[in-house]
Amino acid sequence: MKKLIYAGLALALFAVTSCSKDYDNYPEPEETLTGSVVDSETGEGIQTEAGGNGTRIRLDELSYSDNPTPYYFYSMQDGTFNNNKIFKGHYRVSVEGPFVPLLQTDASGNVTVDNRKELDINGTTNVQFEVEPFLNVEWVGEPVYNAADSTVTVQARFTRGTSNPNFQQNITDVYLYVNFLPYVGNNYRVDRLSTQVSYSGDTAPVGETITLTSSNKLDQHRDYYLRVGARISYGQNWYNYTTVKKLTIP
Amino acid sequence: MKLKKYILFAVLTICFTACRKLDLPPPNVVQDPDVFTTEPGIRAYMARVYSGLPVEDFRYSPRGMNDFWLVNPMPANTGEALSRDLNGATSENFEYFQMAYPQIRDINYFIQTLPQYANNYTEDQVKNWLGEAHFLRAFTYYALVKRYGGVPLVDRVLNYPDETIEDLQLPRESEEAIWDFIATDLDFAIENMGEENQVGRANKWVAAALKSRAMLHAGSIAKYNQVSLFDGQKRVCGVPAAKANTYFKAAYDAAKMLDGKYSLYKESWSATDKEAQYQNFVDLFFDEDSPENIFVRQYHYPESAHGYDAYNVPRQLMGANGYSAEVNPTLNFVELFDGFPKNANGTIKTLDNNGDYVLYDNTMEIFADAEPRLRASVVLPGDIMKGQSIEIRRGIYTGAVAGGISKLVPESSTSPYPTTNIVSASNLAENLANPYTLPNGDKMTPAGLSGYFTADGTGAVSGFSVRKYIDPDRATADVLENRSDQTWIEIRYAEVLLNLAEAAYELDAAGQNDNNYLQDAFTAINQIRERAGATLLATAADLNNVDIVRNERRKELAFENKIWWDLKRWRILDKEQNGTVYRVLMPFYAAQAGKYFLDARLDQRNSRYTFDVRWYYQQIPNSVISRDPKIIQNPGY
Repeated sequence: MKKLIYAGLALALFAVTSCSKDYDNYPEPEETLTGSVVDSETGEGIQTEAGGNGTRIRLDELSYSDNPTPYYFYSMQDGTFNNNKIFKGHYRVSVEGPFVPLLQTDASGNVTVDNRKELDINGTTNVQFEVEPFLNVEWVGEPVYNAADSTVTVQARFTRGTSNPNFQQNITDVYLYVNFLPYVGNNYRVDRLSTQVSYSGDTAPVGETITLTSSNKLDQHRDYYLRVGARISYGQNWYNYTTVKKLTIP
Repeated sequence: MKLKKYILFAVLTICFTACRKLDLPPPNVVQDPDVFTTEPGIRAYMARVYSGLPVEDFRYSPRGMNDFWLVNPMPANTGEALSRDLNGATSENFEYFQMAYPQIRDINYFIQTLPQYANNYTEDQVKNWLGEAHFLRAFTYYALVKRYGGVPLVDRVLNYPDETIEDLQLPRESEEAIWDFIATDLDFAIENMGEENQVGRANKWVAAALKSRAMLHAGSIAKYNQVSLFDGQKRVCGVPAAKANTYFKAAYDAAKMLDGKYSLYKESWSATDKEAQYQNFVDLFFDEDSPENIFVRQYHYPESAHGYDAYNVPRQLMGANGYSAEVNPTLNFVELFDGFPKNANGTIKTLDNNGDYVLYDNTMEIFADAEPRLRASVVLPGDIMKGQSIEIRRGIYTGAVAGGISKLVPESSTSPYPTTNIVSASNLAENLANPYTLPNGDKMTPAGLSGYFTADGTGAVSGFSVRKYIDPDRATADVLENRSDQTWIEIRYAEVLLNLAEAAYELDAAGQNDNNYLQDAFTAINQIRERAGATLLATAADLNNVDIVRNERRKELAFENKIWWDLKRWRILDKEQNGTVYRVLMPFYAAQAGKYFLDARLDQRNSRYTFDVRWYYQQIPNSVISRDPKIIQNPGY
């Protein structure tokens, strides 16, 4: 019996002492990285989708290793980003999305362009990337609600956002996205309302005003969020987007 | 003195005998000489390597390889079919990467060790086995490169701990280097192997057939791939476009080698009899002596079995495990074929000129002249399987028929059918319990015995069921999981002809004229079409679009787990699957007319397919990268 008590006490002692008060010996990740990805010409944020195939920020913590495992997070759909749980350190920061890539190589792998940034993240660090979008997609006028058949018609236009011939692949399609929420894009859309127009070869009407109509009836008395996206056949086939427009149906 | 001698003698005796004993290899571990000095030993070694070969057969699905539970069938991922258990585009959910390298090590060990025991065999035997090992290695690297692009190239046995971990952490090789390595290994195999081998093992022609497949794949990547990823100077994703013709040429030459060695299966074929052509195409997958079989994987119950029949038979032939109808061919797939009325845009025509449904005496009437290969690949509604008419009916239309029945739902709609005037069933039990009384007093179940059931999806959700590879003679009592043992045909001659046609077409399109490529493509396509009972191409000039070659492949090789890779290497899957809903054909019985009509529409389950372009190069498992930080991840992951 006594033996058992001693054993129990020893176990308890071991359990208590082996438990450290700190979780680990690293400071918590509490630095903040904010910033935006903007069009180098207009200074406006590059519209993208939230998550999925949207703009993604890549961090390589060079103060940890020369070849660290990359850390990724996504920007918001207006091209801004904000992450307040980052370890203090020296980083290489880059972004990838529907714009001319920051890191380019020639056919044999030599780096020809490297616009990635190296910086210390300490406190609140702001970083801005000026890039050339593949396409500029913009609204032409306001969306029109067709009361007769409860559809919505929009007009938009897309033009090349870069003069770099390596990123002027054919435009494959343009899409009118309709959603019930302000998050709208290729990954958040109502399928029965959204409309896609595909182009084969290089037949896409660059620079012309195009008219798109939702593919089914919209419900009465509710809000819809509209956006037009177009894409070229490059990389992950990211879409470039217009801003989001809200449509209230009476 | 004498004593000293004795002591010395004793010491020596102990030493020598003891030492000899310690030198003995452990008798309970199989040693190299046990394996490599006898033919059965070699056969056993080979059997193990073959069993781990990445053959995408009855036990392959996005869930895994060599995995028995085949309820997420690959054809339901490509637009060939719909399934209740796979309702959207997916990439593979398992990590082949880790499965490949132990296999490669076994093969490298064989290649390195066999020459030490070569004096036990004839020179031909040794050459043959070494060739076979190179074939197996190429097969394994092909499975890697088509998934991941460039991977670490290991062509010898890595020795740990003689070499340090750091030295053994290999970076990725360029994708081009892996394709070239596969070609080199296969050339070695073709050169060194004999023309004969056991069934299920490779010979030199098998190596040539695999070469035609792999090089066609490489050429397609060179021509159509847009993705580029460099690790230093090595392009680990993507192949220079300039290599396309080299690879297509290699595919063409390799396919040509099989000329006259194999032939299309035509045992019960007749030029004039569509029924015979149909039966011939069904039999092709079951004749063990088929001259079309190039490389097969055999199964034998109970040692090694699969459940293809159990998972895929139509609902009314379901076995005791309770599975059925996992592969339901889409109308999009059926519409690739000819022999039934079509609209100008190629879709099936089931409406008359007023936009009302055409009425038929039975559901097979419209398919009376369908291409025999279609009937042999797909169970059409009302067609016969295992002596039963496979009854597929969406429901009974009870409304008025005078003046015609207009389309129930619009063509582009995924909304459910209206509930007025339509009787349907949610599952088989309810279906049997609630027969509908027809105007003449007869009873009829709302749905067919094989579906469509609105709730449980166990029936034909597309209006069709798969026929290819379903054993026509298997009794329903034997339609069980892990009970089927039909042979999987991994490479058949039809594929080689299609490889030839595609490579030749691409070479012709690229302006190569050292052979009459277009004529060769034309001949190959027509050979396939003739056996299938399809309409022949009139002249080589009619072969004016790559889709003619590709569609022939889709029709011929459907449900054989090949099409997903084809759609990927053509880099068209992201365009085909972009919020895509596939089409289905729903047969109804119009009670007032006593006739059937067919409704072509979008899948009412609203299963949407969107292929993520990142999947052209699959994700390298993170655990691999954490073990070997020199490996860089593919784009987008």
